[in-house]
Amino acid sequence: MTEPTDFELLELATPYGMHAVTDAERAEIDRRVAAAPPAVAAAFHDEVRAVRETMAVVSAATAAEPPAHLRGAILAPIEPVKPTATRQISWRRAIFASAAAAIVVGAAAFGVGVLLRPPAKSTVAEQILAAPDVRTVSRPLANGTATVMFSRDRNAGVLVMNNVPPPSPGTVYQMWLIGANGATSAGTMNTAAVAPSTTATLANLGASMALAFTVEPGTGSRQPTTPILAELPLN
Amino acid sequence: MSPPPRLSDELDALLRQVAQGDSAAFATVYDLTKTRVYGLVMRVLRDPGYSEETTQEIYLEVWRTASAYDSAKGSALAWLLTIAHRRAVDRVRAEQAGSQRESRYGAATAVPVSAVAQDPVADSAIAGDERRRVVECLDALSEAQRQCIELAYYQGLTYSEVSQRLAANLSTIKSRIRDALRGLRNCLDVA
Repeated sequence: MTEPTDFELLELATPYGMHAVTDAERAEIDRRVAAAPPAVAAAFHDEVRAVRETMAVVSAATAAEPPAHLRGAILAPIEPVKPTATRQISWRRAIFASAAAAIVVGAAAFGVGVLLRPPAKSTVAEQILAAPDVRTVSRPLANGTATVMFSRDRNAGVLVMNNVPPPSPGTVYQMWLIGANGATSAGTMNTAAVAPSTTATLANLGASMALAFTVEPGTGSRQPTTPILAELPLN
Repeated sequence: MSPPPRLSDELDALLRQVAQGDSAAFATVYDLTKTRVYGLVMRVLRDPGYSEETTQEIYLEVWRTASAYDSAKGSALAWLLTIAHRRAVDRVRAEQAGSQRESRYGAATAVPVSAVAQDPVADSAIAGDERRRVVECLDALSEAQRQCIELAYYQGLTYSEVSQRLAANLSTIKSRIRDALRGLRNCLDVA
């Protein structure tokens, strides 16, 4: 039997399929479809499917080429880290051998100093990418782009730098987590660490509100000593 | 007219590989779908920075959830663009709700659906032909129907908001949206 309320439910299938309902309405519609007679639920799903297939065809009308650098930013965090030998020379060669090599820069405990290491698998990165609350923020950095994907649930982030030129010899890029009490170092990257596409893991975001970059002399500073080059809000 | 069948079959097979963690297959999925995804997101968000961020989130979701794609429930392209549209709409609503509400989203003037910037790269002969057919079908709708698609699909309004915006009652808007979609579907010959 099809009740009057079933007709009303079926009328909602089109706006539902177009995401033209609020989150609360969507949840309510899902609940009603689950409780509806099988024939009504099937008709609802058929309409949603037809809407989505139609709008997929309609997307030909809005097709537009994304900026070229977006490809690297999207692919870098999911590239498998190449297995490397333990000698430093071998992973250093790997950086230069492949523009796509993802080098993970792990910030040492308490965010002071830096540890370059090529782990077989970046589990922190995988956890962040799998987190339901993952967010993405991008900003220009030098002539390239810095993108951070972060999860508050995981209290961590993955930084991807595309086409960012290496810092001048004798200086490093230093990452800072900016919080209510100022800047805390989140590690540094020297000339060798910055590849055309570089991935770094940011541990312990804490209550920080932004990730900032400066150029610092030598192997880095305790506090920023130069103007901030880029600031990525973490909210 | 569905998406070119070969593209759909290819995406189907690729998504199965992506579900197994195949990053090369994922790169191909990106290359085959990037203009559709980015173009739709850009149409909704109308800001290159937001659009790039949202496109990254969309492909991350594709990477994470490829195993949830079920070809029995629809085409691969529709699955991907559903994720894309949902995320773009979520973002445009979040930006509108945020305190840093920006004027570009406050504009009440609707851009005609078919007034799309021509993209020379995406405009290969086949893509151009498909685009022309879609534009023709959009033009075949009534003005009121096109307005509903514009507000409810491209501007991310809910159907209740559309009814408020157009000062029309809810049931009128619901049937107008349904008729608009039915018109497009028939014109485009979508199964």
